[in-house]
Amino acid sequence: MSKDNKNKPTGNPADKLPEDAAKAMEATAASLQNLAAAAEGKAAPAPVEEPDDALFDFDDDDPLSATGVSKKSLVIFFLIDTSRSMVGKKIGELNTVMEELIPEIRRVGEADTDVKIAVLTFGTQVRWMYSEPILIEDFEWSRLRADGVTNMGEAFRELSSRMSRNSFLNSPSLSFAPVIFLMTDGYPSDDYKEALEELKQNSWYKFGLKAALGIGSEANDEMLEEFTGSKDTVVHAYSGGQLAAMIKIIAVTSAQIGSKSMTLSDDVNHELSEEEVRSAKQKLLGQQIQDSMTNLGDADAISLDTGW
Amino acid sequence: MFGGFSHSVIGASHEATGLVCQDHSAYEVNEHYAIAVAADGHGSKKYFRSHVGSQFAVEAALETVRRFYMDPERFEQDFPANHRLVIKNIEKQIIVNWNTRVQRHLEQNPVRLEESKKFSKEEFQAIPKESYYGTTLIVAVAGKGFQFGFQIGDGSLVALFEDGTPVMPMNYDESAPANMTASMCNSNAASMFNSFYTEHEKVIAMFTSTDGLYTSFSNEDDFLEYHLILTGQLDRLEEFGKSVQKNLVKRSHFGTEDDISLSCICDRELLTEMAPVLRQKAADNKAHAAERKAKRLAALKNTD
Repeated sequence: MSKDNKNKPTGNPADKLPEDAAKAMEATAASLQNLAAAAEGKAAPAPVEEPDDALFDFDDDDPLSATGVSKKSLVIFFLIDTSRSMVGKKIGELNTVMEELIPEIRRVGEADTDVKIAVLTFGTQVRWMYSEPILIEDFEWSRLRADGVTNMGEAFRELSSRMSRNSFLNSPSLSFAPVIFLMTDGYPSDDYKEALEELKQNSWYKFGLKAALGIGSEANDEMLEEFTGSKDTVVHAYSGGQLAAMIKIIAVTSAQIGSKSMTLSDDVNHELSEEEVRSAKQKLLGQQIQDSMTNLGDADAISLDTGW
Repeated sequence: MFGGFSHSVIGASHEATGLVCQDHSAYEVNEHYAIAVAADGHGSKKYFRSHVGSQFAVEAALETVRRFYMDPERFEQDFPANHRLVIKNIEKQIIVNWNTRVQRHLEQNPVRLEESKKFSKEEFQAIPKESYYGTTLIVAVAGKGFQFGFQIGDGSLVALFEDGTPVMPMNYDESAPANMTASMCNSNAASMFNSFYTEHEKVIAMFTSTDGLYTSFSNEDDFLEYHLILTGQLDRLEEFGKSVQKNLVKRSHFGTEDDISLSCICDRELLTEMAPVLRQKAADNKAHAAERKAKRLAALKNTD
């Protein structure tokens, strides 16, 4: 099926989120446009007039239309702690929310972006849910089980080895910098620091959008900040309800921000540098996450760790 | 008898910013050989004449291969035994030819104020003159009993030999370091080519394309399938030519909005025999696509 014939949007990706958080996410697209314009010292651009679609209709009789067109691809990496401490409600809630999340992320890219998902779990063993990133349309969540210790450092090494043009990021179409989302309820069992330093040398990691979610009170904020490089992109969930809301907010918001172009590649007078784009996107993600968290407030303050 | 076509279409992003098409492509056929060439001018700020550079690269390639073929019988006799050396020689000659054209163009068309005013004086002085014209180049040649190709910078070369399977035969072990963009304007350009050589008796078709085409696909399988479908239609080249151009415009519009060039050479006699087979193969692939995809996904899923 050709890309332009893909299903039309069937709803707002923020449908199932708390109202204020959903509004904050809806504002993301407009904020991105303004931020990009501001970075160039220009007013926000006027809407671009769409060309006559009929000119570009894919003719069913054209045999060459059999292969789809891709604009850009975005890989979202989920790094998920599956150590023993996650057993019970935590892993159960996480499985449920991830199953619900996939259709919501599916609507983010639509015709403009091929969104792919890669899930890396770490307990005693580090393993990928699929052995390569899978298009969101084809992705099916496999329910996770928790057991063993927290080999997060090994997960960082595995991630670094796969974030490469020769491995997971080998799509011919141009790639947005990936989204990397870490979820954990505790402190690493292994020596994660050295592995994190190695990961930080990876260009895809450097330019990627990073966010982290601490689950329960045992999760260590300092360590999570080391991972994301910013306080604003680290949040904590203390109950099942918060966990569900936060995973959705972070995943959908980062996918939205990650899949927006902020460069004018052929503007010969001023080209946004990769660093400017990375910095603007990461800053925006932090703002959006913090706004959404404020709006979440005490929506679900029933249980802390005892509630798991 | 060889046939062919070439198309270069401007990308939507270039149209929007008032840039001309940075790509250039061409093909040439005669009774001894066929050659398909594509080049992609870099297009960004310091490569402000790269649309001219890509044209020069294409012209330099056509002229150089023509010169090597000046005595075709002798070339066909000597080339197979010395192909590595000769291909290196062709590459070097193309670089020399391109640089000569660039120098001449610069002498006749000195840099204008509107070209240099985007830079500070220091910035402008730091740019090597050849860089104004920076471009990639990719070339495929089909001779009698052998085929070869070479490229510098991005771009793709796809060939369909007698078994009808699209392949990318270029050897990428000779190239520049991975973090360096290879370009005709590099001072060590002659050492930055990748190449291939085969002695298949027959090739159905060979295609060279700039990276605007490759990057409009989400995966390499689709890219190769596109060439299979394309080759299956080449027995009606005259009618199909316009469809190809239209399709490239659409791929650019819905894809990365980059310029796209596609150049093709084919054996028209072999196509008469093979095109129905290739069409059937493409139809089978389409019919079984869902089944193959499901199998592939199942194989990729790591289960406990």
